[in-house]
Amino acid sequence: MKICRAPGVLITYALGSCVGICIYDPVLRLAGLIHIMLPNIYKNQREQNILKYADSGIPEMIRKMEAFGAARSRLIAKIAGGAKMFEVAGGNSSLNNIGARNVESVRQVLRKERIPILKEDVGSNYARTLSFDASTGDAIVKSFGKGEIKL
Amino acid sequence: MTISKYEDINSFGLDVLKEIGSIGTGNAATALSKVLSKKIEMTLPQVKILDFNRAIYELGGPETIVAGVLVQLYGEVNGMMLYLQKLDFINIILESLMGKKINSYMDLDEIERSALIEVSNIIISSYINAISSLTGITINLSVPDVCVNMLGGIMNAPIAEYGYETDKLMTIGGGFSCDGMELYSNLILMPEIDSLNFLMQKLGVSCE
Repeated sequence: MKICRAPGVLITYALGSCVGICIYDPVLRLAGLIHIMLPNIYKNQREQNILKYADSGIPEMIRKMEAFGAARSRLIAKIAGGAKMFEVAGGNSSLNNIGARNVESVRQVLRKERIPILKEDVGSNYARTLSFDASTGDAIVKSFGKGEIKL
Repeated sequence: MTISKYEDINSFGLDVLKEIGSIGTGNAATALSKVLSKKIEMTLPQVKILDFNRAIYELGGPETIVAGVLVQLYGEVNGMMLYLQKLDFINIILESLMGKKINSYMDLDEIERSALIEVSNIIISSYINAISSLTGITINLSVPDVCVNMLGGIMNAPIAEYGYETDKLMTIGGGFSCDGMELYSNLILMPEIDSLNFLMQKLGVSCE
């Protein structure tokens, strides 16, 4: 998780089934970017890296952004990632839908926090590098063989 | 005593894993050499237990494009194996099997992908056979799938699958050279912690 003001740019590389969430306050030009790996934190877990999980990481980032003066009513979100990199048949795992579950969890958390998702580029089967420019509020998604798109 | 994290494996345990790595690499080199009718040399594999982020950098950086073939293990041992390779290795496979080369990853078509999966499957199976014959346990493999994309994204698969259990992963690096060319190939082995304990126990390693 990183937070920065204009003219900073935040970047996270090669999101596979992970999801990158940019949250932005356009008035302060304050941007936050978090890269989550899994949808939900287990309550009784010993290891507590809360930034790894959507339902604990996103609220934590919003809290930090508010500490920097962000107003919740102004916040918007852009998300990318949540791909399905492998199609494994015959295994018994959550592998096949972890990306979709991550995206679902991110949507739920943002809905609960009342932050609208303005743009998104999720799903499919390729990795994405996500960067977010705090001065313009633009997110750039770069992926292998597909060029760049602006969110 | 049982281990609860990968980093709890003691040096004896690591040596055993290295030995499995060597035997597996030996088997794989033999199999590969037969399939490709080429002389394949092997180097001593290095077994490392690394943080996710460290591992991605050691394997070439998050945005490096690689081809990853993934197989799931189930049965008495549950886990995942990921075999990573680069264009030079793919070209050696394609050249010997199909008599052609590709210039970029984008040129891979259906049948070439299939050849790639098949050869990777042979390599992965060699390792599994090594483990299986040393321990006498049965390990089933899922149907493999290939993904050509950014390394970071490919590595998300094992990381997300075992993210609740661990922050580390085990890489078996090094491996093959062919016609004097060192080939980039890396194998990621991610057994579930319970399975790892079971394996260690079967191999007679006490993790104290």
